[in-house]
Amino acid sequence: MGMTITEKICARSAGKDRVRPGDMIDAEIDKLYIKDLRFSKAEDPKGLYGLFKEILKDMGIHKAWDPDKVIINLDEQPARSTRRLEGQESAKQFSREHGATLYQGYDGGIGHNVMVEKGHVKPGEFIVGADSHSCTYGALGCFATGIGFTETAGVLATGRIWLQVPPAVYVELAGKRPAWIWGKDIVLRIMADFGANGAVNKTIEYGGSAVADISIESRLSMCNMAVESLALNAVFPPDERAIAYVRQVSDAPFTPVESDPDAEYESRLRFDLSDMEPFVAAPINQAFIGTCSNSRIEDLRVAANILKGKTVHPGVRMIVTPASYGAYFQAREEGLLQIFEKSKALLTASECGICTRPSLATGEVCISSGNRNFSGRMGHREAQIFLGSPATVAASAVAGEIVDPREFLPS
Amino acid sequence: MKKKFTGRVWKFGDCIDSGNIKGVMEGIDPEFHAKVRPGDVIVAGINFGMGSSAEEAPRSLRDAGIAAILAESISNIYLRTLINLGLPAIECAGISAIVAEGDELEVDLESGGVRNLTNGNARAFAPFSDHAIAILEKGGLIPYLKSSFAKDR
Repeated sequence: MGMTITEKICARSAGKDRVRPGDMIDAEIDKLYIKDLRFSKAEDPKGLYGLFKEILKDMGIHKAWDPDKVIINLDEQPARSTRRLEGQESAKQFSREHGATLYQGYDGGIGHNVMVEKGHVKPGEFIVGADSHSCTYGALGCFATGIGFTETAGVLATGRIWLQVPPAVYVELAGKRPAWIWGKDIVLRIMADFGANGAVNKTIEYGGSAVADISIESRLSMCNMAVESLALNAVFPPDERAIAYVRQVSDAPFTPVESDPDAEYESRLRFDLSDMEPFVAAPINQAFIGTCSNSRIEDLRVAANILKGKTVHPGVRMIVTPASYGAYFQAREEGLLQIFEKSKALLTASECGICTRPSLATGEVCISSGNRNFSGRMGHREAQIFLGSPATVAASAVAGEIVDPREFLPS
Repeated sequence: MKKKFTGRVWKFGDCIDSGNIKGVMEGIDPEFHAKVRPGDVIVAGINFGMGSSAEEAPRSLRDAGIAAILAESISNIYLRTLINLGLPAIECAGISAIVAEGDELEVDLESGGVRNLTNGNARAFAPFSDHAIAILEKGGLIPYLKSSFAKDR
């Protein structure tokens, strides 16, 4: 019996010839992503660096695991609290003293996008990140999952984690993708099919004839949403498109792995993209294009295409927060930022932004390109958040209510 | 940490995300922190701890002295984090159906069994791996790493 991409990466990282779902492995990590918030004293009075130093002292060593494999990003710029700022200074100190790579200022943005754009994510790698949306990286054919604060300290010291190899769900994508369907529409449709407890602690593996036509940005968005189905990870095959993308952002070598034809899946689902429609429904107060889920260059292009020559509905606050400064500058070059300004959408710096900060009053409704609509996530507990693709968000901002974006796309 | 213990049940529903668990279940019951006693057990439905990896939420449960969390399903990051903090997190299908708030539960981590001492019903769960037991016995990943490295040297 063959193995899946995820099983092969787990086996290689654990120094084994093969693993099966349910096996407990001790895996060696290729890359660790840490967002600045983990260095603040929010979760532990010592902060990540303080705890790490304490572990080293107790272990009787001075040097950590491989600092070349540690990437840190400042997800909030400028810091809006003393605690956050102290965390960012601690992250910089760690980076100076241990040699980790740190992104800030115009090199930064939202960490998950920075990781991808700066070439830290490659096919075949075993990556963990100190943020739940670290599953995003699976779009490039690697194993990637989120870990907690305590485990991050452990990885910094040892470069290893314990993990139970997950069973896999194979999601076959077939048919021709309509022009108005993007990754977000596809993944929301799939999640609806999974149901409330759909993919808990499993691998979602995408495949099928339609994959080649799905952009890297859309794949990143689809893998970003894996944790919202409670999956451990999601992965796309490292096809020509993925490899071409990685070669563009990195000179470093990598070894892609593919699932064997006789790999075993716990279940299989099939979706025909030609049947899919954008997710729609309600009057809105706020429209948000941002987050590590959907504010990459593809998303900004789609939104600008809809907003061009139009104005955001007077009853709606529209906020556009690019995914990284890479995306921000690219959008500026293409004239997209001017389109946002002219349409009265409020453009912000690249950061996590209102995904995690209060911006909704009681009873308000928001359409968001983000990934989470938990109660209280974006402000008052009585506010409602609907999720859709950037096209759905932009069209709804113009209409003042959630609408089908197809009518708003220039033909 | 004891491998076998009893505790009084507090029962919660499905899909409780980590943002609402923060502050000892503050998002669900703002008074819960005052009602819960060390050694109590939380029983929840599906997808317990979904969402953010921020560790304030699981730490608040540990700091309140919760002895164990049993749920129909638990998000992976949350389950790992709880164990790494030294608090047994147990996925146990059918647990909600056999308990009511205030019942007394007996949990055996090694054999993978839970028994409701109030009504006599029982359920089984996958026994904990030796590795997870070792981490729990040391009180979490950090003390486990400290002691295992000290031993290696």
